[in-house]
Amino acid sequence: MPETLDTLAQSLSDAVVNMDEERTRELAIAVVDLGLNPLAAIERGLVDGMNRAGKLFETEEYFIPELLLCSDAMYAGLEVLRPHLPNASEVKKHKIVIGVVEGDTHDIGKNLVKILLDAAGYEVVDLGRDIEPKRFVETAIREGARVIALSTLMTTTMDAMADVVRLLAEGNLRDRFKVIVGGGPISQAFADRIGADGYAASAPAAVKLVQRLITEPA
Amino acid sequence: MSKVTFALQGITVRVDAGASLLDAAIQAGILVETPCDGTGTCGKCRAKASSATGLIAGVYANDLLSDAERAAGWVLACQTKVIGDVTVEVETSVDDGLKIISDGHELAVKIRPWIRKVFQTELLTTQVYGGAKLLATEPSDTTQFGYGLSVDIGTTTLVTSLIDLANGQELASASSLNPQARQAQDVLSRIKLGSQPDGLRQLRNDLMTEINRQIGEATAAAGVIPRHIYEAVFSGNTTMLHLATGTNPASLGKYPYTPSLSGGCHLPAEIVGLAISQHGLVYLPPIMSAYVGADITSGILATALAHEGGVVLFVDIGTNGEMVLAVNGTLVATSTAAGPAFEGMNIACGMRANRGAIERVSLTERRIDVQTIGEGEPIGLCGSGLLDAVGELAATRGVDANGRFQFKDESWPWSKQWDVLDGKPIFRIAGPVYLSQKDIRQVQLAKAAVRAGIELLLKSNDLQASQVDRVLIAGSFGFHLRTESLIHLGLLPPEFENRVHFVGNTSKSGGRAFLLDYHTRDEMMSVTQGVRVLELANDPAFEKTFLRSISF
Repeated sequence: MPETLDTLAQSLSDAVVNMDEERTRELAIAVVDLGLNPLAAIERGLVDGMNRAGKLFETEEYFIPELLLCSDAMYAGLEVLRPHLPNASEVKKHKIVIGVVEGDTHDIGKNLVKILLDAAGYEVVDLGRDIEPKRFVETAIREGARVIALSTLMTTTMDAMADVVRLLAEGNLRDRFKVIVGGGPISQAFADRIGADGYAASAPAAVKLVQRLITEPA
Repeated sequence: MSKVTFALQGITVRVDAGASLLDAAIQAGILVETPCDGTGTCGKCRAKASSATGLIAGVYANDLLSDAERAAGWVLACQTKVIGDVTVEVETSVDDGLKIISDGHELAVKIRPWIRKVFQTELLTTQVYGGAKLLATEPSDTTQFGYGLSVDIGTTTLVTSLIDLANGQELASASSLNPQARQAQDVLSRIKLGSQPDGLRQLRNDLMTEINRQIGEATAAAGVIPRHIYEAVFSGNTTMLHLATGTNPASLGKYPYTPSLSGGCHLPAEIVGLAISQHGLVYLPPIMSAYVGADITSGILATALAHEGGVVLFVDIGTNGEMVLAVNGTLVATSTAAGPAFEGMNIACGMRANRGAIERVSLTERRIDVQTIGEGEPIGLCGSGLLDAVGELAATRGVDANGRFQFKDESWPWSKQWDVLDGKPIFRIAGPVYLSQKDIRQVQLAKAAVRAGIELLLKSNDLQASQVDRVLIAGSFGFHLRTESLIHLGLLPPEFENRVHFVGNTSKSGGRAFLLDYHTRDEMMSVTQGVRVLELANDPAFEKTFLRSISF
């Protein structure tokens, strides 16, 4: 059966969901060899697969390791397809600055959010962990980001999130950025209290939150 | 002001309008479980209101109460504001039948106490020495009255034992929940609260009030006069010792996680606020790091880890899993954040080890056998029951390697136990007690943290699991854990089978050894100075090892 873009995209999506890195890479090479549209293969194949994995994570069928294995497969496919994207097709993506707040070094949750945002088509600037408030603000300004995403696992460091919001307000920058927060000790009530724009309880929920906030009028 | 009446306890308090129902409960002195610290995310602080007036229920916790429960008047105390007079029912987590492991690995201890008494026949007075220093002179001959305390300050529980310094005998002991949990449930919340001067004062006062009450209880039981107690050893984790001594714990809660106390020293009991002899002393054992504290030093002492030949691994399983690997007496330690799952917290039917808690589960011949504390009707799962239940599911493939419920497999002998709650699969254990998929996930995260710590400790010494000669498990679970469950879970590697020994509360037994033989103090100072503490946050292999350890 001749491989078409449709069947290959479906196979790519399945390979990502099935955590099959090798198969994903082979399918991506087939897309290139057949001269098919790499952007479509990414969107309808790799990203679709990652979205399905995110849904399985939300329904508790997949857990963190599975989600990461799916993302390994997705990135393997991207590595093959990206060099073949025509330069002009690089759409301007919304930027998101993400990091773990000052004082905290637990970053597995942040990494999950980053992967899913990446898969959802955002450009993610990952500052890493133990990041002081002013670096979030400076980076967001420099990168022209739309969203600042803050993560922490520790009750003792959650107030640093409020510091970021306060710094933005002091610089009259509060309206330029959407601030979202998440992590073990964080709740919607906390987000409301510090004046953040949103809270998400899981990585897939964070993607939905960003999608909603970005389409909202500023 | 509004009046809030707690019907089950028969207590009424007045609170400002707008205060939360949880604040009212705290004011009433009712201990309510709040593992999430009142952020509305855990659903444990349920309260039932007799009528809807007088309260505004919060909107944040929508997913934690079902509509039926809401209609029946259930609210979450932390998310509910008091706006008028109201009567509510709140279940107290009293320590009714609470099991606190007071026994630890008993080490043969030489009786060489720091405190010595000398009767001066010509003056008819008794001199009390702490080491070489004269602490006090008492009228008449009081040499037969010399007592000490070993105080185990756990995040969850406090155990004070009264010990006769002449013969090492434990005369009485008292145990109860750490009252600081009323203000802040977990270690990090206490660090946060204790970083404020008012919070620190309150946490310290609450703790000292309860320890002094325990001293009263123990001395009354033993017929001892509190002023004949001259020394107390405070064994506890680094945070607890900061809070007990009124030391600002802020630096413990932020990277690079440094303690402000190093231990290995005395403080006057009067300054600590301990109701013993006004000349008495409090000894703090050496502290190794922010998350490897004096309780672990006590554990090293109690198990004689520094004197053991071969490869011995000591693991204290609790909210923080601390562990020490001894290789022919050379020690490496680390700690790993397991979270509260092992204490039955953040688990759908989780509870502390009170009456009615399932503490043991086995799947046998299409049956589920459970054992509850106090042989009560099963009402929840405590930590050991939880680990047993999940371990059994993993062993019988009721969950797959990834931890997913295998509820579609009808050939599985216990498939009748699967059920659906709020559209999600659950595994029914006994009576109202079940496991959710999310519970399995919580256990996976907790056990992976401990396992990753073990793997990295071994790796730092270029050792394999098979090369470990003995594994000593200490901690609040004490003797209730089963090795096979720990291995089924993958919390311990399979190579550890037949090498595991449960050593109980070594914070307490080590504290007693510190008290009775002061030579152990210098020795442990030099032992702890030689301990290498691995900071997992700085280990690039941690994440990978942790993620790999999540599977069964």
